[in-house]
Amino acid sequence: MRAMLIDSTRCLGCRGCQVACKQWNGLEGEETSFLPAQKEKAAEFAHRGYQNPPDLSAKTWTLLTYNEVELDGRLQWVFGKQQCMHCGLDAEDRNQWPACVVSCPVHALEKTKEGPVIWHAERCIGCRYCMLACPFHIPKFEWDKAWPRIRKCTMCFDRLQAGKAGFTEPACSKACPTDAIVWGERDDLLAEAHRRLEENPGKYYQHIYGEHEVGGTCVLHLSSVPFEQLHYPANLPNEPLAVNTSLAMKAPPYVIVGLSLGMIGVYSARRRKIEAEANESEGSRHE
Amino acid sequence: MSETFIAKGKPRLLGQFVLWVLLLVGVAVTLKRFLFGLGSTTNLNDSYPWGLWIGFDILTGIALAAGGFTLTAALYLWGNKKYHPLARPAILTAMLGYIFFVIALFIDLGRGLVMWRMFLPWNWQHESVMFEVGWCVATYLTILIFEFLPSVLERFKRPDLMRLWETFTPLVVVALITLFTYAMTSSARWAATILIITVLFELLQASGAVPRSRPVPILLIMAGVLLSCLHQSSLGSLFLIVPHKLNALWHTPLLPIEFLLSAIMVGPAMVVFEGIVSARVFRRRPELELLTGLAKAIPILISIYLVVRVVDVAVRGAVFHAFALSPQAVMFWVELSIGSALPLALLATPEVARTERGLFWGSLLTVAGVLIHRLNVSVIGIEAHTWQSYSPAVSEYLISLGVVAGGLLAFRYIVVHFPVYETSARLEAAPRPAGRVGGTQTA
Repeated sequence: MRAMLIDSTRCLGCRGCQVACKQWNGLEGEETSFLPAQKEKAAEFAHRGYQNPPDLSAKTWTLLTYNEVELDGRLQWVFGKQQCMHCGLDAEDRNQWPACVVSCPVHALEKTKEGPVIWHAERCIGCRYCMLACPFHIPKFEWDKAWPRIRKCTMCFDRLQAGKAGFTEPACSKACPTDAIVWGERDDLLAEAHRRLEENPGKYYQHIYGEHEVGGTCVLHLSSVPFEQLHYPANLPNEPLAVNTSLAMKAPPYVIVGLSLGMIGVYSARRRKIEAEANESEGSRHE
Repeated sequence: MSETFIAKGKPRLLGQFVLWVLLLVGVAVTLKRFLFGLGSTTNLNDSYPWGLWIGFDILTGIALAAGGFTLTAALYLWGNKKYHPLARPAILTAMLGYIFFVIALFIDLGRGLVMWRMFLPWNWQHESVMFEVGWCVATYLTILIFEFLPSVLERFKRPDLMRLWETFTPLVVVALITLFTYAMTSSARWAATILIITVLFELLQASGAVPRSRPVPILLIMAGVLLSCLHQSSLGSLFLIVPHKLNALWHTPLLPIEFLLSAIMVGPAMVVFEGIVSARVFRRRPELELLTGLAKAIPILISIYLVVRVVDVAVRGAVFHAFALSPQAVMFWVELSIGSALPLALLATPEVARTERGLFWGSLLTVAGVLIHRLNVSVIGIEAHTWQSYSPAVSEYLISLGVVAGGLLAFRYIVVHFPVYETSARLEAAPRPAGRVGGTQTA
């Protein structure tokens, strides 16, 4: 599976990835303001860090987050990158599907065999269950549109499909000047990540975010600080979220058959009893 | 079948006027929603994609329609004949509940116009709880319409069509349940299994080995109970996939069981509540004897639900969340005390449960308890980003109120124009102290 490795220790915070993403995907800019006069807009930045725009949205599919953290006794900037994690390591195995894919009632979200998780406009009914289910808060909705779409990073699936040499790479990793974002086969990238952790144990926080989270994701993150400090969701299990619903979704046929037989049994028994009682009372009346 | 009559109470004009205003306001706001998008009419955001409409119109609305399947099960499956007069109003409530639920869903869905895509075989995704929910709604609504048809055919005096209905309903049910099973599994084997079971059962009835229930085919009732159980529990299953977002006070693997139990508990409560309120509106005597009998089941059902709920919270070690200083903890206690313990105490006290007022408050609180539980699961218990919050916008309330008003007006129209209430209720009707009698006529 194709994947991305994002190493925040190499990141300069230039946001070239953000710009490249907007350019390739034709996403509008967002109007933000720090001015105290525009209180409402300025308030959006509270608690979210110092990045601009403050959060992902239908118009912003990847976002470099600016986090001020204490490192080696002094305050430093550590950059995080928010985008779709492209969860799941096996497109065939339904039990390993990402939460958004497994929750979608119409297959509008699809885990491709190449790795990226993509959205199909011709299927979506706009129920927004994917947004609720996603542990990374990734699918976004066009709240201001009469015919809204679900919007999120596709790992530039269209570039991947175009398939021309040197052009298949996602826009963000292509734009990154320091190779903080690299793209390739997940197995290779995972090996590379382990190598970096081993060679520089002091430089890295010893965890590859995405190696095991929700069963493993196609986006892997390395950082110098614990990932909670970059506001990455930290309470995630190591098995796919689909396990939470798989039992409930296997149940219907058993319930249908079991309950039908049960009801048939109850009805037949009760009917016989009721009719027998009716006959009895009738019989006694005749006597 | 006992005779039915058409309720012709002098309507309370003020109440009706208010309902019409609410409906029209709701329609106007709905228009705005469709022209300018969900953002223009709701406070929903990317952290809280689901809000009041899901929690109230949909989760609670469906729970309140549970009277339909619980009562028909008691009446036709168990053979508790005395509840006959309550069956049609309960079926009507369930049918209207589902119709207006679909309308609410249509408003809430971002792309509601294409919700039929869920039924196209090449879109089937039976790993999705939402898929099961959608199919349950569509299939059960069809079943409910079939359950209600006798009232319509009686009204237009078409015994010929009635015989047709009696003959063909089992076939329709067999086809629907088989299709439903196939959609849920994509397995021809499962579909064949249920097909064989239902067909065999029909043959057994035809041969006389098992007594046939007349005039309502028992298969229709069974399908209603089956789909209700699946639907009510699957509404709880919707939230299984968010252990990381839903507060531990509510997230449990038992969510589907809890939703089913609470639906079964609120079913009779809703029938009692409605029986009292509609009697007041149409100025007739409520069927107190029947309602008291039905209300006896409610404390037992609440107890079962409460035991499951409390033991589950305790065993999972979620109790300490209940003592946190958070809105979630407060709502947890409100839910358990006012919504479960209080109605349990009220309805378990014979002196209270015998009176109209006691029944009214006991059933109302049971309904409120389920409402609070569903809102807690879908809105209040959801903790996504700390920097985004959600509280419903005025237009969200207005649309919800419009949906409810529409449902009540439709209910009123139907009970006035179609035979829903039985003659027994009419015979009991007596002049109220005010001296105005609800005029009645036999269909």
